[in-house]
Amino acid sequence: MQNTRNRFANRKKVLVIFLACGGLLMLLFVRLVYLMVWRSDYYGAKATDLHERERSIKAARGQIVDCNGVIIADNRTVCTVSVIHNQIENPEEVIRVLSRELGMPEETVRKRVEKYSSIERVKSNVSKSVGDAIREYDLAGVKVDEDYKRYYPYGDLASKVLGFTGSDNQGIIGLEVVYEEYLEGKAGTILTMTDARGVEVETAGERRIEPVDGNTLHLSLDVNIQSYAQQLAEQAMKAKSARSVSILVMNPQNGEILAMVNVPEFDLNDPFTVTVEGGAEISEKEKQNLLNQMWRNGCINDTYEPGSTFKVITAAAGLEAGVVTKESGFSCPGYIIVDDRRIRCHKNGGHGSQDFVHATMNSCNPAFVSLGLKLGTERFYSYFEQFGLLTKTGIDLPGEAGTIMHKPENIGPVELATVSFGQSFQITPVQLITTVSSIINGGKRITPHMGVKVTDEQGNTLETFEYPVQEGVVSEETSETMRYILEKVVAEGGGKNGQVQGVRIGGKTATSQTLPRSEKQYISSFLGFAPADDPQIIALAIINRPQGTYYGGQIAAPIVRQLFENILPYLGIMDYNEISEEKGEESVSE
Amino acid sequence: MAGRVKKKREQTEYFFDYTLLFVILFLLGFGLIMIYSVSSYEAYAKYNDAAYFLKKQLLSGILGLIAMIVVANIPYHFWARFSELGYLVSAILVIMVPFFGVEANGAKRWLPIPGIGLTIQPAEVAKLCMILFLANLVCSMGKLIRQPRGMIFLMLTAIPMVVLVWKLTNNLSSAIIILGISVFMIFVASPDYKLFIILGAIGSAAVGGLLYYISKLNMSDLEGFRFKRILAWMNPEAYASDVGYQTLQSLYAIGSGGVVGKGLGQSMQKLGFIPEAQNDMIFSIICEELGLFGAIIIITMFLVLLWRMMLIANNAPDLFGALLVVGVMGHIAIQVILNVAVVTNSIPNTGISLPFISYGGTSVLFLLIEMGLVLNVAKRIQLREA
Repeated sequence: MQNTRNRFANRKKVLVIFLACGGLLMLLFVRLVYLMVWRSDYYGAKATDLHERERSIKAARGQIVDCNGVIIADNRTVCTVSVIHNQIENPEEVIRVLSRELGMPEETVRKRVEKYSSIERVKSNVSKSVGDAIREYDLAGVKVDEDYKRYYPYGDLASKVLGFTGSDNQGIIGLEVVYEEYLEGKAGTILTMTDARGVEVETAGERRIEPVDGNTLHLSLDVNIQSYAQQLAEQAMKAKSARSVSILVMNPQNGEILAMVNVPEFDLNDPFTVTVEGGAEISEKEKQNLLNQMWRNGCINDTYEPGSTFKVITAAAGLEAGVVTKESGFSCPGYIIVDDRRIRCHKNGGHGSQDFVHATMNSCNPAFVSLGLKLGTERFYSYFEQFGLLTKTGIDLPGEAGTIMHKPENIGPVELATVSFGQSFQITPVQLITTVSSIINGGKRITPHMGVKVTDEQGNTLETFEYPVQEGVVSEETSETMRYILEKVVAEGGGKNGQVQGVRIGGKTATSQTLPRSEKQYISSFLGFAPADDPQIIALAIINRPQGTYYGGQIAAPIVRQLFENILPYLGIMDYNEISEEKGEESVSE
Repeated sequence: MAGRVKKKREQTEYFFDYTLLFVILFLLGFGLIMIYSVSSYEAYAKYNDAAYFLKKQLLSGILGLIAMIVVANIPYHFWARFSELGYLVSAILVIMVPFFGVEANGAKRWLPIPGIGLTIQPAEVAKLCMILFLANLVCSMGKLIRQPRGMIFLMLTAIPMVVLVWKLTNNLSSAIIILGISVFMIFVASPDYKLFIILGAIGSAAVGGLLYYISKLNMSDLEGFRFKRILAWMNPEAYASDVGYQTLQSLYAIGSGGVVGKGLGQSMQKLGFIPEAQNDMIFSIICEELGLFGAIIIITMFLVLLWRMMLIANNAPDLFGALLVVGVMGHIAIQVILNVAVVTNSIPNTGISLPFISYGGTSVLFLLIEMGLVLNVAKRIQLREA
């Protein structure tokens, strides 16, 4: 009886225990639902983060092509050799093979192989043949990844303009830097699952985000013109033992640059080797300085005293202001007194009495000094501003130097006089050619440029670049007068050596001194354009520190003449069989 | 099922719990599959044998099944005479651990069995012996059990074993389980409620107070280090690099499983992220691979197991049988609840295996012996009387 009652109590208690346990399990189940439904995304993402390893796939950098579609910057497949520490089975063999195939000292390779890391890069930018050879050994733990490296088929052609890329395929100088965003493309990724030790799980597969290759950059540069101009520049540099020679060729109507040569150029496929003498025992810092010097684009990064070519600008200002006309008379006794200074003309006896056209043909300093004085500081300066001389040209190349000009309040009569014939201040070659272009093209201040458009792999145009053009810098009338005068300079004046048979050429020579003047070193230049009545092409040749004869009219003008003789027929501006003055616009403008 | 029971009744007049047997075999088989799935990758990496853990567990399982069949066919009263001896032997085994024990996973909890190269975990032996000892003691106490004096006496007999296991094998989890089993059995044996409610209230208050105290602690305090596990429980992500690591990895596994899971064998967390995942953390990998549905099946199976044991306990021919079953039921219930609570970070991390499923030979062997006892108690149920 009592036992039975007791058993009832026991049974009830067992039920209590069961229900309590069931209740707790239910609570835990609710907790599971919370974790696996509500928090699933959170923990799932955290787990994926933990399991996935990212490896990036490089995107091929976009090509750079010239105006005819010739590829001047391309990619070549290279390999990156790496080792995965805990997959290496035979470290000694790996070290031996890698140091032999890669031509690296054994200690260096040993350090990489024995370093405890998930993946260690031994060498990048290994040529494909070496990479393939290493792959042939089939060594456990050695990984050969294919990769792209920039390759420049023309070697040193337009080296300072194109620029080159660094180890991560990023642009370092030149157009490669400016158009980085179009060229670089987008790296892809391979996401692989790994276990806790970092070993890839083969069965888990991989997720790939494909890389997007860079786009193709089209330049206005013409490889043929560039090559020929470089050839001429190299000849001149050698013949005159000059320090450097620059040649700029541009379309004065729209600012498209067809060639920009700065010899000595450097090899774009080997940009980190100093080519100048004394290479061996220099410090890292000195080497970097030398490299920076070697990479400098003189047409843009450096300023110089333009000398007589600047008279084009003084003349245009005078004509625009109305203080001078073609017929205005000047007399030159061989010098002019400004304040207490006696400024000499390059012709000892003087040019005597002459009109303005002849004063320009003679490049007569006293005539231009008196013109400058007539203009006055304020007016002269305001024309500089109007012509755009005091601001940068805005060319699509990095590191353009600004004009170094006296402040207006510091310009006294002597400064004004020297500025009038292109001395005592400095501008860049590209500034000079751009300003002269806007004076002779009817008064349009154009922006010099290389980049024309960007296309994708299929050749669809993604973006066509537009550059600012400022109209009315000078009047059409002034522009026409300037073309007339500058044609006279070549036809009958100091620029005779720039004549090309069958084409009307306009131009101006210059011979200026480098600073300090005591060194007696010169810069000879010639600026020429054709056809003189409707300029389609303008070229500037600058010889820096020629030895022997240094007059621009004698050594720089022939360079431009030879250049024109060869490229004008090519551009369709000149026809040997039928001498025409009106044709060729189509072929040049695009 | 019902038809079968009828058929049996005519033949033997005794009951055999096929449902219980089915659940046991299901859990055992499922456990083996999961152990292979969870451990094969690491086992291959370590021992060059993907089935390393599976083989060892299979051996224990077969041994355990044989033991279960043997025990199920020996009338359970036979064991009553060994109850004191069992208590003594298990106590001696536990005491031997600090002197002769072998270490695994940084803890010294195993005793080598000379000659056959196997090891045994005395704490598992102690659980079974405690059940037998208390069941026998209650029956021999008679009416004393109805007085608080008797209850306290029972408690005092259980405490030494709890302390031995806790201190000598440095195994708080097993100590808690032995204590829990004892409390369950005493609770069922005694007709009293009030005392247990008071004890429960005091216990909850103490735990609550302690937690509040710890949550106010700074890590810079000396005390703070001792309670790091509890701080890591409150915020596992703040201790991801040390004590919170396992818990956090377990949460990643459970959370990334989602409703349907990644599929059998597809767990990522078992690839070394959860070390020794086939042991205490196996439930988190089950959740990762089989999702919420897999978790539901496992929890349901354990509920059925507990339910069958409740029925057997309540229909047992005598108090001794009933208490044996209650002890086993408490053992399994406590381990399942604590294990799932740990892997879901519902309580602070402490190593408790999931019965029948987690890897561990001694555990499976003794659980199956316990199930043999339960099956034998079930066999003694006379269906005519019921």
